[in-house]
Amino acid sequence: MLRTSHLLLKLALVSFVVGGLFVIYLDARITATFNDKMWDLPAKVYARPLELFAGAPLSPDDLSYELKVLRYRSVTSARNPGEVSRFRNRFEIYTRGFDFPDEREPGRRVLIEFSGDRVNSLSASGRAVDLMRLEPVRIGGIYPQHGEDRVLARLDDIPVTLREGLMAVEDRDFNQHWGFSPVGISRAALSNLRSGQVVAGGSTITQQLVKNYYLTSDRTIIRKLTELVMAVLLELHYEKDQILESYLNEVYLGQEGRHSVHGFALASQHYFDTPLEQLGLHEQALMIGMIKGPSFYNPQRNPKRALERRNLVLELMAAQDVISPEQATVARAMPLGLSKQRRIRDSFPVFLDLVRRQLRRDYRDEDLTTQGLSIFTSFDPQLQRKLESSTTTVMDQLDPRDELQSATVVTRFDTGEVVALSGGRQPRFAGFNRALDVRRPAGSLLKPATYLVALEHPTKYSLATRLSDAPLTVKLGGKKSWTPKNFDLQPHGDVLLYQALAKSYNLASARLGMELGLDAVIDMLARLGVERGVPRVPALLLGAGEYSPMDMAAMYQSIAAGGFRMPLRSIRDVVDASGKPLKRYPLEYDRTASIQSVHLLHYALRAAVREGTGRGVYRYLPENFAVAGKTGTTNDGRDSWFAGFSGDLLAVSWVGRDDNGGTKLTGGSGALKVWAHFMASASKQPLAYRMPDGIQPLWVDDRNGYLTGNGCPNARMLPFIIGSEPDQRTNCSPRQSGPKSGSGIKSWFDSLFGGGG
Amino acid sequence: MFFQLVFRAAALSFFVVVSACSTFTETGSEPLEKAPQHKVETPGARQAEVPFRSATPSASSAWKPLLAKANQANKRGDYEQAMALLERAHRIDPDSPEVYLGMAKTHLAKGDKGLARATAERGLLYCSGKTQCDALRKYTR
Repeated sequence: MLRTSHLLLKLALVSFVVGGLFVIYLDARITATFNDKMWDLPAKVYARPLELFAGAPLSPDDLSYELKVLRYRSVTSARNPGEVSRFRNRFEIYTRGFDFPDEREPGRRVLIEFSGDRVNSLSASGRAVDLMRLEPVRIGGIYPQHGEDRVLARLDDIPVTLREGLMAVEDRDFNQHWGFSPVGISRAALSNLRSGQVVAGGSTITQQLVKNYYLTSDRTIIRKLTELVMAVLLELHYEKDQILESYLNEVYLGQEGRHSVHGFALASQHYFDTPLEQLGLHEQALMIGMIKGPSFYNPQRNPKRALERRNLVLELMAAQDVISPEQATVARAMPLGLSKQRRIRDSFPVFLDLVRRQLRRDYRDEDLTTQGLSIFTSFDPQLQRKLESSTTTVMDQLDPRDELQSATVVTRFDTGEVVALSGGRQPRFAGFNRALDVRRPAGSLLKPATYLVALEHPTKYSLATRLSDAPLTVKLGGKKSWTPKNFDLQPHGDVLLYQALAKSYNLASARLGMELGLDAVIDMLARLGVERGVPRVPALLLGAGEYSPMDMAAMYQSIAAGGFRMPLRSIRDVVDASGKPLKRYPLEYDRTASIQSVHLLHYALRAAVREGTGRGVYRYLPENFAVAGKTGTTNDGRDSWFAGFSGDLLAVSWVGRDDNGGTKLTGGSGALKVWAHFMASASKQPLAYRMPDGIQPLWVDDRNGYLTGNGCPNARMLPFIIGSEPDQRTNCSPRQSGPKSGSGIKSWFDSLFGGGG
Repeated sequence: MFFQLVFRAAALSFFVVVSACSTFTETGSEPLEKAPQHKVETPGARQAEVPFRSATPSASSAWKPLLAKANQANKRGDYEQAMALLERAHRIDPDSPEVYLGMAKTHLAKGDKGLARATAERGLLYCSGKTQCDALRKYTR
């Protein structure tokens, strides 16, 4: 007897110790992780904010689009943040305000008036506003593998009716109990017994939170006991308000594609397109009702069931005096009120992919998915929309059978920022990102590197230097040789240097490149930003190698910027969860090519679109809108390229097949069309002519490159680096009046100087 | 016609001699009657005369306050903040030589001579008038 009681005592002691240790373990788990759990937030990625000022180049429709993606409500008079009223070209906007990395932009009611495609005036409370910015569009997040997203809400931001309604339905005694509620359990048991099925759960809010945070959804006694103990421990360590706030941010409320919707703030955006604090009673009740079964009561799929559940919640809220019976009646009469807008979040997978890759150079995946960072990017939703529309329109015309693919990179070359990106014909499809990942020969897109090497030797080469476009064969060692051909299979005799590039003559380009040396060309490509995939073979001169549209964008970015290399950036700032700036990605220039030589190259690239292989751009652009660019075509038309720039944008487009088969397209009949269609809708500034120090324009004879006079036969004005002017001169002296100096196509450049006719 | 020719010659020699940093906007084959000088830059009047430009006169009232703030930040030695402000100004008006000058100054104050030089060199493409261009040129040496 004594032995038995001894044994029992021992057993009790052991289980007491084990149980105690288990409780200590659970306690440590809670205290160590609860605070972190509260902050386990994916990084948020934002587009560039729209800058508003008098004179800003923006059309009223562009502003409308921006406000639409920012989910402003259209009203007759803007009285609350997030509302807009528009009357023709006059907008009244109540902005929401935003904490930018540099300073806070206050929310305010502003009046914006347009005149044509420009902001004419901007005022708030009757006073002119010099400069302001709208809040940036959130374009996505960097999610962990399990795909949870979250928008954090503070308890103070949550409507009282939502808080109290939640307690009324889920946990009436929340403010009294210690983590579990015997009263609640018996009440639930009673009502389950009455109805013969499980209609209510006895779990408190604290228990539910513990379960969501730490435990599986297994229905075992051990799990239930652990939950109970942890709930009590949680209540011991934390205030009711902290627990409630965590719950409101943690509770699972449905699924959006592969991302689960956690927390009321995100759910409010997801279902109603409205910030939590602006939700109506009927909307609050719908969300509270969904907690019981987010998929069973999903209002999008099961609207009738969801409506019944919502109305039941409203009744409960009225019964417990959270709202008045009148309020409940009004709310019951409301429709579900679901948002019909297409989601913008994560709709730009191609750009997000670029952002993610650039972020991974500086951050660990874990930091990106848990630290609640804010990533401010250069993404421009308006340019993206135009790029997608141009890609679709042109590609559907080119290839109705949907066999070809396309990719385009758009930058603002003054800052080197990537602003729009298309990685395929289905822009919202997060698949193969061709803008970053195709590796193709670039055809004549590489030629400017060769010409730039030449132009950097002004004593030997100018735009008017005569080059031979005659057949050539380069010995490659052994019995191999390389015999390039022109596209039209014809040699063109002697041509001026600028013509050889504008008309993309292969023989002249190959000869020039061999004369200069492959190493000099490879070095130039590196200086322009192309260091990968460049083979040291003569065919390089006609574009051999493996390049992505992004590689070509880096090269043409340096050219467009005037010989200044800058890394292509997609990120401006990274800010931590408390708003502290962590890292800025600054604008940095490095002059890697001669400004004067690049200036001459610009001339040849302007000539390419005026009178060379890129002429087709003016089927889309107005005749007086200056741009510069270059076509590229590879063997059998496998790749069609176009790279070029206006006064504000640089774009590189590629068209080809995923299986690398022939397309029957040239650069001019394929990629050029996507490029020009896009530029015509998106670019707001033609390429200006800026003559750097050390350049002089001179009249030359277009047939032989001799100096000549204005009004002489074939006279054409070309820019020269001072000291590089031709030695020879025609016999013709300038005429005071006479035939026009090169009519039609040639006048595009002369006209800059008041000539052209 | 004679007048136009004289003007053209004068404009041309102006550029050959001064040949500083100049801005034109291509206007295609416009009729000559429109007086060619509207395309030729005169210092101080550049922005108003060039069509299509994003940099309208009022754009400067948008970025001038940013420049002032950047100056203050520079004085405090807060170069990061100064650059952030200047880059915002630069995005608003990428053609402003004053913003380039501000950036070059900040780079130099930070001790980055190479960046100061490259920035000023690029700014030279946008300056007009001797004072403005010389101010930038100082940083290219």
